[in-house]
Amino acid sequence: MSEAPVLEVEDLRVRLRTPRGPADVVNGLSYRVGAGETVAVVGESGSGKSVSVLALLGLLPAGVATVTGRALLEGEDLLTMKPDRLRRVRGPGAGMVFQDPMTSLNPVLTIGRQLVEGIRAHQDVDKAAARRRAAELLAEVGLPDPEGTLDRYPHELSGGMRQRVVIAIALCNSPALLIADEATTALDVTVQAQIIDLVEKLQAERGTGVIWITHDLGVVAGIADRVLVMYGGRCVEDGTVDDVLENPVHPYTRGLLGALPDLAQPAVDGVVPDLATVPGVPPAPTDLPKGCVFWPRCPVRGDARCETEQPPLAVIGAADVVLPHRAATWCAEGPR
Amino acid sequence: MSLRPVRPRWRETLGMLARNPTAAVSAVLLLGLVLVAVFDETIAPEGPNETSIADRLQPPSRDHLFGTDDLGRDIFSRVVLGTGVSLRVGFLAVGIALVVGTVIGLLAGFYGRWVDDVLMRFMDMLFAFPAVLLAIAVLAVRGPGSGNTALAIGVVYIPVFARVTRASVLGVREEVYVRASRSVGASDFRLLTRHVLPNAAPPIIVQTSISLAFAVLAEAALSFLGLGTQPPAPSWGRMLAEGRGFIQDAWWLAFFPGMAIFVTVLCFNLLGDGLRDVLDPRQRTLMAGGGR
Amino acid sequence: MVVLAGVSVIVFALVHLVPGDPVRLALGTRFSQETYDALRERSGLDEPLVQQFFSWLGSALTGDLGVSFRSGDTVTSLIIERLPATIALAFASILVALAIAIPLGTISALRPRSFVDRIATIFSQFGISVPEFWMSIVLILVFAGTLGWLPSGGYVPLTEDPAGWLQRLILPAVVTGVVSGSVITRFVRSSVLEALGADHVRTAQAKGLSSRQVFTGHVLRNALLPLVTVTGVQLAYLLSGVVVVEIVFAWPGLGQLALQSVQARDYPVLQGAVLLFAVVFLVINLVVDLLYTAIDPRIRR
Repeated sequence: MSEAPVLEVEDLRVRLRTPRGPADVVNGLSYRVGAGETVAVVGESGSGKSVSVLALLGLLPAGVATVTGRALLEGEDLLTMKPDRLRRVRGPGAGMVFQDPMTSLNPVLTIGRQLVEGIRAHQDVDKAAARRRAAELLAEVGLPDPEGTLDRYPHELSGGMRQRVVIAIALCNSPALLIADEATTALDVTVQAQIIDLVEKLQAERGTGVIWITHDLGVVAGIADRVLVMYGGRCVEDGTVDDVLENPVHPYTRGLLGALPDLAQPAVDGVVPDLATVPGVPPAPTDLPKGCVFWPRCPVRGDARCETEQPPLAVIGAADVVLPHRAATWCAEGPR
Repeated sequence: MSLRPVRPRWRETLGMLARNPTAAVSAVLLLGLVLVAVFDETIAPEGPNETSIADRLQPPSRDHLFGTDDLGRDIFSRVVLGTGVSLRVGFLAVGIALVVGTVIGLLAGFYGRWVDDVLMRFMDMLFAFPAVLLAIAVLAVRGPGSGNTALAIGVVYIPVFARVTRASVLGVREEVYVRASRSVGASDFRLLTRHVLPNAAPPIIVQTSISLAFAVLAEAALSFLGLGTQPPAPSWGRMLAEGRGFIQDAWWLAFFPGMAIFVTVLCFNLLGDGLRDVLDPRQRTLMAGGGR
Repeated sequence: MVVLAGVSVIVFALVHLVPGDPVRLALGTRFSQETYDALRERSGLDEPLVQQFFSWLGSALTGDLGVSFRSGDTVTSLIIERLPATIALAFASILVALAIAIPLGTISALRPRSFVDRIATIFSQFGISVPEFWMSIVLILVFAGTLGWLPSGGYVPLTEDPAGWLQRLILPAVVTGVVSGSVITRFVRSSVLEALGADHVRTAQAKGLSSRQVFTGHVLRNALLPLVTVTGVQLAYLLSGVVVVEIVFAWPGLGQLALQSVQARDYPVLQGAVLLFAVVFLVINLVVDLLYTAIDPRIRR
C-alpha cells in the first residue's frame, strides 16, 4: 500500500459563500487512499465530510464554493483540471454513490437509460453493447433479472435494489476510486450489511480505492482500513482502524466511542453508540471558534492553548510506520 | 397545551419583512394608498365631477397634474378619489372570499370524508368557471354597482381560499398538539379555532395579499366593461374606458388611471411575495387563483 | 363528470335567477300578448323549471343548445362561428407565452441573481400586475397609432386574408401572451430550480455526463411536469375567452359572445357558452393528466 496512492489529498480547503457570510467548511484536509484500500471519513453532519468529497469532483455549486489545495487522482490534480477533463474523470476516474437511493436516481428515466448513458459517456460503444454491459453490471451487483430491471423505473425497485443500481452506475466505467457518501445511512440494517458486503466484494475483485463517508462507527469497524475523524472541517484524528477505534486520543473521538466516562453513554448491548452522544452541537462553519475547534464542547479542556491555538495534527506513538496514528489535540493524556 | 408550537411571532415576521426591501417598499406604498383613500377629499384639489368646458383635454400641467378629461374634470382628483373605491371593493371582495372560503376549507380539511367530498366538489365546480365570466354572471343576476362587484369577485375567489385552507389544515390536522388536545376532550370548535386555524394561517395570509391584487385588477376590468362601479363614483377602470376613445390625442386620460391600477396591483403582489418568503417557504399558496 | 353535471345545474340555475324577462327583451317595446305567449311557449319558458332543465340538458347532449333569443340563430352555430377566432387567439397567446417563459425562466433559474434573472423577475411582476386593457390600449397607441404598423383591431378569417389575419392577431396575442407568460415564467423558474437541486442531477454529473446532457436529460425533462400543468390552466383560461382583450381589440371570440349574451339576457347562448367552457376546462385537465402519465412513470399504474 505504500506505492503510488490512487488519491492523494493535500491541504484541501473549501469556503462557501452563504447568506450569513463566508463559511469555512473544510480547513486543510490531507489524506491518501491506496489501491484496494478503504478510508472511512467519520463525523457528525456539518463536519464537512460530504463537502470535502463533492469538492474533489467539482460537484459543488459553481460560484458558491472556493476550493484550494491539491487532490491528485492517479497523479493528476483534480482541482486545477479543465472542466472538460474533469468531466471525463468522473466515471472512469472516480465513481460516486450517494446517500439516498430514493432520490439519487432520476424518477422519470428507466434504469437502463441511466446506466447506458453513463457507459456511453466514456466508452465508444453502441447502444446495444452498452445495454449488454449494463445488464452484466446489474448481475454483478446482485440484482435478480438484470434484463428486466433495465426497463424498469426507480420507483418500481426497493431501496436496497436502487442502491445496488447506483453502485452499478458508479462502477460502470471501472473507476480507480469509489466514493460512498453515507451510502447505507438511508437503508435498513440488513440491507446495509448486504450493500457493505457487495462493495467489499467488488473492491476485492477490482482493487478499487474506496472513500467511505459515514457517521456510523459500526460501519467503520466493519469496512475500513483507515479512519479519518472530521470535526469542524478538520481532521482531528486519523490512523489505522485499530489505532483509532481501540486507542482513541482526541477527546472528540473518545466521546464518539463512549470512552470518556463523563461523556459516555454506555454502549447498549455491545452496540457502539451513534455520534449524537457527544453533548452540544458542532460549530457553525461561518463562526468557527478561535483555538481548538472542539474546545467549546470539550470535557477535558484545560490547557491554556485550547482557547487560543489550533493544535496541529501530531503523531502519537511510533512515527516510522507506514500509517502513523495522528491526533490534533493539546490534551497531554495520551492513549488510554 | 404546551405542545402547540409557538405561533408566528409577529414582531419577528415584521422584522423579516422589513429586511426584504421590495416588500417593505410595497407595504409603505400601500399604507400611503390607504391614507390617500382616507384623506381623499383633502388631497384632491377638485371634486370628482366638477366639469369645466374651458379646461377640456388639458395636458398635464401645474394646475392639473394629470391633465383634464373631455369634460374638463381634473384627472388627478379623480384618480385620488377613485383610490377609495378600488380599495374598498378589493378589501370587501377578499373579505367575502376569505371568510367563506376559509370556513369551507377548514370544515373540509378537518372533517374529511363526505364533508370534504361534497364541499370540495362544489368548489371544483365553481373553479371550473372562467373567473371573469363568473363575475359577469353574478353581476348580471345582481345588477351592476360596487357592492355587487365586490360580491362577484368574492365568489370567484372562494374556491381559491377553500383550497389553500384545506391543504394547510390537512398539514396540521394530524400534528401531535391537535391530537393531544383532542384526546383531552377539547370540542371541535375549540380545536379548530385555537389549534388548527392559527397554525394553518400563514398560507392564508399570503393568499390574502395576492388575492387583493387580483381583486383590484378584477374590479378595474369589470368597471372597464361597464359592469362594475357606476358613475358618478370615480373608478379607475371606468376612467380608462372613457379615456380609450381619446388615446391618440390625449394619452393622459387613460394613462394615469392605468398607472394607478398597475401600481396598486403591483404593490399587493410584491407584498404577497415578500410574505410568502417569510411565512410560507414551502410555497403552499396558489400562485395565481382562478384565471390569471 | 360529476363536476360537469354540477356545472350545468349551476349554469341553469344562475341564468334563470336573472331578473328581467328575456322574452320581453327580445321582442322590444311593441308587441301583442299573443306574440309574447307564442314566443314564451316556443322557448319552453312556460314550463316548470325542472322540466326546462332536463329538456335543455337532453338536447344539449345531442349538440342542440337551443336558439338565441336575440338573433334567432341556433346557439351551436353562434358558438361555432366564434370558435376560429377564439382558438387562434388562445394558441397564438400560448405560443407567445411559452416563447417568452421557457427561455426566460430557464436562464434565470440557471443563473440566479444574474441580469437575466432580474429581467425575468421584473417581467413576471409586470405581467401579473398590469391591467390587460391598459396594456392593450398602450400597444394600440404605439403600434397602430404612432408607428402605424398594425391595425388597431378587428378580425378577418384566415381563409380570406392570411396576412390581415396575422396582423390583427399579433397585438391581442402579445397582450394575453405577456400576461400568461409572466405566470408561466415563474413556474418554469421555480421548477427548473427545483429540478437542478435534485439529488439525481448530482448522480448524473458524477457519471461524467456533459452539462448539456445533464440539462436536457435530467433537468428539463423533470421540470416539464409543472410546466404542463400551468400551461394547461392558462390554455383553459385563454380558450374560455379573454373577455376584456376581445372587447378592446374587437376580436369576435367566445368571451365577447358571452358578455353580449349576459347583457342581452340571452339565456340559451350564455348557457351554451358556459357549458362549453366547463367542457373545455375538463378536457384540458384530462389532456394534462394524459401528458403527465406520459412524462412521469410514477403515475402509471
